Parts: sequence; structure tokens; C-alpha cells
Amino acid sequence: MSRTISLTLRIWRQENGTSQGAFETYRTGPISTEMSFLEMLDVVGERLTLEGKEPVAFDHDCREGICGMCGAVVNGQAHGHQQGTTLCQLHMRHFKDGDTLVIEPFRSRAFPLIKDLVVDRSAFDSLIAEGGYVSVNTGGAIEANTLAIPRKIADLALDAAECIGCGACVAACPNGAAMLFVGAKVSHLALLPQGQPERSRRVLAMVRKMDELGFGSCGNRRECEAACPKRISISNVARLNREFLKASLLADEE
Amino acid sequence: MGRTSRTLSSSLGRKMLMAASGSFLSLFILVHLAGNSSALLGRTTFLAYVDYLHSLGVLLHFFEILLLTAFCTHVFLALLLFFENRKARPEPYAVVKSSGGATLAGQTMIYSGTVILLFLVLHLQNFLFIDRELPVADLLRTVLGNPALAVIYLIGTLAVGLHLSHGLWSLCQTLGLEHPKYTSTLDKKAALLGLAIGLFFALIIVVALFYPGFLL
Amino acid sequence: MHLDAKIPSGPLPEKWDRHRFDLKLITPANKRKYDILVVGAGLAGASASASLAEQGYNVKTLCLQDSPRRGHSIAAQGGINAAKNYQNDGDSVFRLFYDTIKGGDFRSREANVYRLAQISNSIIDQCVAQGVPFAREYGGGLANRSFGGAQVSRTFYARGQTGQQLLLGAYGALMRQVKLGKVTLLPRREMLDLVVEEGEARGIITRNLISGELECHGAHAVVIATGGYGNAYFLSTNAMASNVTATFRAYKRGAAFANPCFVQIHPTCIPAHGNSQSKLTLMSESLRNDGRVWVPEKPGDRRAPADIPEAERDYYLEDKYPSFGNLVPRDVASRNAKEQCDAGKGVGATGLAVYLDFSDAIKRDGLQTIEMKYGNLFQMYEKITDQNPTDRPMMISPAVHYTMGGLWVDYNLMSTIPGLFVLGEANFSDHGANRLGASALMQGLADGYFILPATIGSYLAGLTTKTININQSTFLATREEVENRISRLLATRGRRTIDDFHRQLGLLLWKDCGMTRNEKGLREALARIPAIREEFWHNVIVPGSGQALNQSLERAGRVADFLEFAEVMVIDALSRTESCGCHFREESRGADNEARRDDNNFCHVAAWEFSGPSTHPTLHKEALSFENVELSQRSYT
Ligand SMILES: Cc1cc2nc3c(=O)[nH]c(=O)nc-3n(C[C@H](O)[C@H](O)[C@H](O)COP(=O)(O)OP(=O)(O)OC[C@H]3O[C@@H](n4cnc5c(N)ncnc54)[C@H](O)[C@@H]3O)c2cc1C
Ligand code: HEM
Ligand code: FES
Repeated sequence: MSRTISLTLRIWRQENGTSQGAFETYRTGPISTEMSFLEMLDVVGERLTLEGKEPVAFDHDCREGICGMCGAVVNGQAHGHQQGTTLCQLHMRHFKDGDTLVIEPFRSRAFPLIKDLVVDRSAFDSLIAEGGYVSVNTGGAIEANTLAIPRKIADLALDAAECIGCGACVAACPNGAAMLFVGAKVSHLALLPQGQPERSRRVLAMVRKMDELGFGSCGNRRECEAACPKRISISNVARLNREFLKASLLADEE
Repeated sequence: MGRTSRTLSSSLGRKMLMAASGSFLSLFILVHLAGNSSALLGRTTFLAYVDYLHSLGVLLHFFEILLLTAFCTHVFLALLLFFENRKARPEPYAVVKSSGGATLAGQTMIYSGTVILLFLVLHLQNFLFIDRELPVADLLRTVLGNPALAVIYLIGTLAVGLHLSHGLWSLCQTLGLEHPKYTSTLDKKAALLGLAIGLFFALIIVVALFYPGFLL
Repeated sequence: MHLDAKIPSGPLPEKWDRHRFDLKLITPANKRKYDILVVGAGLAGASASASLAEQGYNVKTLCLQDSPRRGHSIAAQGGINAAKNYQNDGDSVFRLFYDTIKGGDFRSREANVYRLAQISNSIIDQCVAQGVPFAREYGGGLANRSFGGAQVSRTFYARGQTGQQLLLGAYGALMRQVKLGKVTLLPRREMLDLVVEEGEARGIITRNLISGELECHGAHAVVIATGGYGNAYFLSTNAMASNVTATFRAYKRGAAFANPCFVQIHPTCIPAHGNSQSKLTLMSESLRNDGRVWVPEKPGDRRAPADIPEAERDYYLEDKYPSFGNLVPRDVASRNAKEQCDAGKGVGATGLAVYLDFSDAIKRDGLQTIEMKYGNLFQMYEKITDQNPTDRPMMISPAVHYTMGGLWVDYNLMSTIPGLFVLGEANFSDHGANRLGASALMQGLADGYFILPATIGSYLAGLTTKTININQSTFLATREEVENRISRLLATRGRRTIDDFHRQLGLLLWKDCGMTRNEKGLREALARIPAIREEFWHNVIVPGSGQALNQSLERAGRVADFLEFAEVMVIDALSRTESCGCHFREESRGADNEARRDDNNFCHVAAWEFSGPSTHPTLHKEALSFENVELSQRSYT
């Protein structure tokens, strides 16, 4: 049932990518435990606004855990401590009265900071541009039921395709690696018959791009999987490795 | 850049080299453990094993060179990746907390590896770079009979156990050896195996230290 | 203004084919000489951008979010319709057409809707080819589920995230063109105005949301695919950034806005928890297949649901609509929930919810079966409310969900401004006065993948302007207007926050222009909106500067537009004195108290033309004629 709690927030404030940032401390005042984390930030923002200050900038849009726009590191954990939950779906009932929350942006060389908690994740778009698709022009498709796909395979593909591209995997990885993100996309398409023609080219290109963009490498530490709000499995990382090895050894394209 | 070098210089390629060298080293460790455990069976068996090893001659040297190469590759890449990965997050977090995936072994690979490296220097000094006056069995008795050295050896072997308890699973993951039907509990099995290896080594040391009749 | 829908002649099934034959073409080599701006990268915008670029046009695509993958289409849960008839249950293009026309309460164009039904099958082909992992049967074929308003199973789905999977498909296609250099992608850009020169759309003014810079973009054609305006109500199931700004700015530059009062209110959403609620979450309509809707018989009964005996429960939908029961269309379900809450029988902390009870279904089919069907929805519900719907009935309440109204477009999807095309939820579309479930995704993709790529060439081929110069006075003047507006917002430094105004507007619209409407309420709203707007411009606080990322400024601009647009909505609602679809005028009901259409006076599209600030907009009517279906009153009893 609904209660109210008060929290102390230490939030990273930084004017822009080049300026110096620092933590600022705010008190939330009494807030309802029915609120979501972002609604709690809204309340603080409204108060700052009334005090003539700028509210904390943070990315968000759908607020139902699907667009992948929101995200911050709360007390050292990407999207906070609730497993399988985006920040927008994290509710305040999971905190205790008097808690102090340290809120930081996702940090990675590949995700430059823009302002406060807002970071630039366009590196993910660049990764997809390298081959995270099937090259089929509109109109050039065959009839949808021509290829039978075992239900299990379709399910596995969807498990991987559920990735919302929020970047929590990178933020949580001690090495700032993007293996789970790339692994999920490579797996989704490698599993399906539609992905076969470009299978090798896709994995080689995406891995090359991943290195170029400054992501770290994988230590199989599993933090990505644990932080992923969609619980994307690291078996997708193993599959990425496998696909890469196969393509490197066997594929004859350049 | 050629295809091979391009593959191997990519982050995945490097990790695969790590895993390949790591698996080779792990295999060696297993063989080494099997051989060393003959010490528990008494002096004769142990010496027979040592003699057999030496009888291999060129083959042994070939193997040693291979081992050295794998080791150097492994260490070189470990350091390279370690420093590169640190650069991937230039600004550290103020609060660092695991989201729930991390294990002690996984988090400490570079440290357990470093301990292994330092230990190995000592180990080689003790057994390889010496004049062979004493029979190996007595050498072993001398070294492990020294409590200070024995403790260091214990630390070294436990580091190997820790390293492998993450490493064995990690190498499967890196080489893409994964299948939902067969590998769903691989991480736990590998961790147990890794620890078991470390503990078995440790057992030999403990026996050597406390059992006066060791290898007599 | 003259509304020419350009509906091709000939029999319904042949119209689209004939039309495509009649359209002028541009040779592949010449296509690269044309620049096209696509504003929005949801399903409609992303699919259009990719398809146009594949043909060879130079495309520039803009969106608000940091990536096109986050367009609000991503949130669609239930599915997408197509007339494949894979279930062999009697579906056909004509049936899909008929269901959609009837579902829309006969306020859409026959020709458009028929074309939509025809194209629906190609959409599924296209998406499957892209690797969209739709649900499948054990045999490997595609699976279908059923949805409201239809008696056949024709909805394709990917668990509860069909929109996500479709959007990721379109996004992939778009990113492929980005890689090939045919699309220039400009994320984190907001269109703040349309540039019209010599009566033609020539470009837009955008604000770079990171640097704050105002940018001019010129093109031979502008495509708006910016989604719906449900956020006018403050609380809706739409994403936070959903807005009317792009379409409303176009309206102010001369594009007619059609049926702005047609707003769909979805019956099954998670109730608001209090004043700091920022948006509402939809619970899929599929839940009504097994959930029973009820409220306590006695008003004000505060007992826990389990303590209310069967005899003291009012299963009002089942009683009133014996043949459809809990599965009446969205608008009917929503209105009835409102009626119960108005009578004091609502439940929950705010008294604005009704129960959706699964206990009978669990008794009948077993917990496991029900969890298998709805497990992910139950989890989502529990995450938000901390209550398990298998222990205690779910609480649901109606929420603004979809806007059928939008910029008026002809059969080619061109607005009343030549060169300005409008796709997806942003146009007034094919859903008439009420949209059926799973047909918005279909429409957005039909527009983007197939219709616009076929029709835009004909417009471009007829263009005489060859180069667009963004240093021309029109661009500069438009940019200056935008700049002034921003400066005014920043300079106000009043005492009330943006959300405060937005909430006030939302509540007003919800009350007077929501599920039911009447003349008195609408007139009241019409009087109050200008007052709120007036205060907004004098008393709003917009902190920060215009030269940097400033989310307050972004919101302020959007709310300012909602405050103007709301008036057009209310005017439209006031002038349509019939009840149709989601537009329920209390004055217009039948003997059974149900909605009654007035086909003699209102069988038309109401398109509003901007006639200057503080002037009543001008109404233009596009008459709707029905040659292939018979107009009938909807009845679900
Ligand atoms: C919760 C929910 C569930 C739904 N479920 C279903 C379903 O199951 N089946 C179904 O058929 N339909 C469903 N719908 C409806 C459907 O999802 C939408 O109508 C449809 O996706 C709209 O697509 P769109 O491309 O027109 O707009 P959107 O997807 O909203 O995209 C709008 C784009 O425009 C951009 N944009 C907006 N304003 C500006 C501006 N001023 N400047 C620049 N860019 C701008 C945005 O960044 C975005 O890229 C659902 C809707 C909601 C809210
Ligand atoms: C007997 C010696 C050793 C064995 C058997 C061994 C074995 C392994 C194995 C199997 C792995 C897993 C590879 C993978 O992740 O795919 C590994 C990783 C690692 N090893 Fe070793 N190793 C040994 C010595 C060392 C030494 C001396 C170092 C020194 C610094 C070291 C540092 C590391 C590091 C840092 C990793 C993790 C690399 C990463 O995940 O990025 N190892 N090792
Ligand atoms: S705001 Fe969309 S996932 Fe959180």
C-alpha cells in the first residue's frame, strides 16, 4: 500500500560534455512509494524549477520499459537494484525512508556525456548500421509463410530481439563492452533463415565497428546480463563469439 | 592487413587467443597435476614419472617451448586487454556495485593471474634453474618442507584454482562452446573443476609439509 | 480551400492499381536529384525513409529521440492486422476493409480503407523478410490471435511487443540506407515550423535539441510522420515526447486539420496513483477475453473485492450487452466504466477504476493456463501496482490512447499544402471515428512502405522548382518567428511550472472533451482554454537557456501548442453534434441510451483551416460516400 518516504539524492550534474561535473545533493521531501523513479525525479525537478534552478536532465520517453531511452546508474547499478527493470519501471516502494541514492550517468568512452544524466548512445546506431538488418528492399519480399521457422527458433530469436538498446549492458560492464548488445542482434538474425545470406558479413562488420567505437572487450563477467532490463542472456555472447570464429575461419567474403 | 592478423587483432580475436592459450595452459596444468599427484603414491612411482618425462627428450623441449609461447601470449594479451579495457571507461563510477553477475574469481582474473606469474618465477627457480644434484624427489621435499615456501606454494596453487574456476567456463564462452542442452550448468561445473584442481595441488603441498614420510 | 481527395475512379478493388498506373514516374537516375525531408522515425517515418532511399531519393530523417529505434511505435503491444486468411476462417481483403470501416463508425473513406486492407498482406511479407520474429505455430507457420471488433483471427504478433519488433525491422532498413549514404539521419531534432513558399512546402525549421541551434532544412517535399497528439490530455498511454507541434505548426501554415476531436480512450489501463502520475500504462485489450468487468453494486462500497459477495457485484457489461459482454468495442467499454464511476461505484484509491477479475477464468481453466496467456501482462501490472492480479482483481480505468484526427490528406497522402505529405497517426487516416485494435501499425506501415513511395514521385515529377535555397527570406523569416517564440518562453520567468499548466489543460479536456461530451461542457472548455493559454504566456517558468539541451524548453513549446490546439479540438467536438465512434455527444443518443450517428448531417470529414490568430478556424467538409457498404447503426446488445 502507499506510503511516503523521503530520500537524499546525490546526482551528477554536468553542464555539457566539456565542462567539469560534480555531485549535487537534493532532498526529495515526502514522496509516495507508488511513484516510479522518474516520477520522483519529476517531483524534484518541479521543485528546482520553482526555485529558479534547472531541473536535472535525464532521457526518458515511453516510461513503460520498452523504448530504451531512460537509464542511469543508481548506487552503482545500472537501472537500479531491481533485476529485469528499466529505471522508468523501478518503483519507489523498493526504497526505504531515509535512503541516500547516488545517481550517475551511464559511463563509457563510447557514450560521451551530453548533460547531467544524458549520454550520447549513437554508437549503438552505428553498430546497427553496419549490418543489424536483412538487406531486403521494400516490395522484394517473398510470401510470409513460404519459409517455415520452428517455433523454438522463432522464440529464441525473439528472446534476443527483445533488446531495447538502452545501453545498461555497456554501463554495467567493468570493461565497457558492447558484446551483449551486438550479440543479441547477431543472434536474432543468425537464428532466422532470413538472416543467413548476410550472416558472416554481418558479424565481421559489427565486430570491427564495435572495436572502432571504443567499446572494451568481454571478460565474461556477466554483469551485462544481470543489469539487462530485458534479461537478454549471455548465451547470445557465446553465439556472437561462435559466429565470429566461424565467419573468420570459413567465410570467403571480404 | 591480412585476414588472420585482422581477426587476431580484433577484440574478439584477442580474446580467442587468450582462451586458446588459456586452454592449452589448463591442459598442461591438468597433466602437471596428474604427474605431481604420483608423489602421493610414493617415491618410486614419482621418480618413474620424472624419468619418463626426461626420456621424452626433444619432445619435452618442444612442449616446453610451446608452453612458453602460450604463456607469454596469454600474459601479454592479459595485460594488453586489461589496460585497454580500463580506457573504455575513462571516468569511473563513484559507487561501484555488482548488478549480480560478478563472481570473485571473475573479478580477480588479472590479480590471480599476476599471483600465478610471480609464483611461477619462484617455482621455476626452485625446480628448473638449479643444478640437478639432488634427485627431484628430495628437491621437492626440501622446497615444500620449508614452511615459508610451502605457504607461498599454497597461495600460488590456490590462485590457479581461483583463476581456473572462472577461466574454464570463460574459455568456453569465448570460444562459443555453448548449447542450451549441454552447457546450462557449465559455469558451475567449470568453477568446481577449477577449484578442485587448485585444491588438489594444495593437498600435495599440505601432505608434503605435514607428512614426514613424504617421498621417502 | 478546396478539398479534393483525388479518389481514383473505377471499382473499389481496382482503384489503387489504376491509380498507380496513372501516376507520373521519375526514372531511377533522376530520383537522386530530389531531396525529401522525413520528420519522425516511428513506424511510418522509418518505413517511408527507408523505402524512399531504396528508390534513390536523397532522404533526410529527423526524430526527437537519440535514436530512431525509440519512436513511440515501439510501445505497441498487441499486434498488426492483415487479411492473409491463414486461419481459413473466412477472412478476406473485403472483410478487413468492412470491419475497419464499420469499426470506424463509417467516418472514413472507402477507397483508402480498401487500399489499406489490400496492402496489409504485403506488409506482413515485408516484415517477415526483414527478420521480424512473429509468433509461430509448432509447424513453423505464422500464428494469429483475435482482437476486438473482428470475428476472425487476423492479428500477427510478437509476444506483447509487436510494435517493438516491427519498428526494429523498419529501423534496420533505415540504418541500412544511412550506411549506404542515402539517408542523412538527424536525431534529437525537433521540427518547430514548416516553411511554405509560393504555396508549396519547401522545408522546415528544427531545433537541435543538444546545441539549441535553430536549423533550416530545405527539400522538394516534406513528410510529416510525427505520431498522435494524445498528450494534449496530459495523461495518456503515449510517450512523454508525443506532441502536436509538428502537425499544428503545419496547420498554422495552411494544412487543414481533420477531425481533431476524434480521440480514442482505451478502457484497460492501469489507474493513476495520484497527482505526480506522469503517464498511463496500457494493459492489452486481449485481457478482456478472460477477465470479467465489475463494480460493487452499492455506491461507495469500500470493502476489499474479496469481501464483496457475488450478489452485491454489478457485472454491468455482461448485463447490458449480453451478446458481446466484456468484449464490446473500446469506446463502449470506456464510456460504461465512466458511467459507473460517475455513479460513485468506482473502486481504487481515486474511485476511478473498475475491476477486471480473472478468478472465474482461473477456476474454469486453471491458474497455469491463464498465466500462460497473460503472464507477462500480469507481471507488468504487478511491477507497477505491487498487486498480483491472480490473487485480487485487476483495477483498470480508461485512458487516452490514440488520435484518429490529424492533418487532412488526399488519397496520395498529401495535405492541403502541396509538397507536404503526412503519414501514420499524424494524418487523419483510415480509422474514421474509432480505430480497431492492431490497425494503427498496419496503417503506419502501409503509408510508409507502400503508399507514399508510390505517390510522392508524381508530385515531384510535376515540380518546377529545382533547387531549394535555405538562405531565402522565407526560411529566414520563419526561423526568426521560431526564435522569437523561444525567446518569449524563456523570458517569461513566471511562477507556475510547465507541467502545472499541462495538467490543468489535460484535466479540462478529460472532463469536457473526453469520453462523453455535451454542449455545455464544451462551451465552458472553449471559454477556459484561452484563459489558461493567456496565463501560460505570462506566468510560466522555463528555466535554462536556449543554447543548450533544455528539456523544460522543449516541453514548454509543446504545451504551448497543445494550449492552442485544444481549442480546435473543442471547436470540432462542438460542431459535430452527432455521436459517432469515440465521439459521444450526450445529446445524440438513441432510445437505448447508446450513441446515435446522424448520417444526414455529419457523414463527412471535418477539416479545419487556420484563419488567423484568435479567429475561429474555417470548417471545410469532405463528404463521405459509401457505395460498397451499407451504413448501419452499431449495436452490441
Ligand atoms: C501503448 C500503446 C500500444 C499500442 N498498441 C497498438 C497495437 O497493438 N496495434 C496497433 O496497431 N497499434 C497500437 N498502438 C498505436 C500505434 O502504436 C501508433 O498509432 C503508431 O505506432 C504510430 O506510429 P507513427 O509512426 O505514426 O508515430 P510514432 O511512432 O509516434 O513516431 C513519431 C515520430 O515522430 C518524431 N517526432 C514527433 N514530433 C516531432 C517533432 N516535432 N519534430 C521531429 N520529430 C518528431 C518522434 O521522434 C518519432 O520518431 C498503440 C499505441 C500505444 C500508445
Ligand atoms: C597456469 C597458468 C594459467 C592458466 C591455466 C590460465 C588460464 C586461463 C583461462 C582458461 C582463461 C579464460 C580465457 C577466456 O576468458 O576466454 C584465462 C583468462 C585470463 N588470464 Fe589466465 N591463465 C594462466 C596464467 C595467467 C597469468 C600468468 C596471467 C597474468 C597476468 C593471467 C591473466 C588472465 C586474465 C587477466 C584473464 C582474463 C582475460 C579476460 O577475460 O579478458 N593468466 N586464463
Ligand atoms: S522511458 Fe522508455 S524504457 Fe524507460
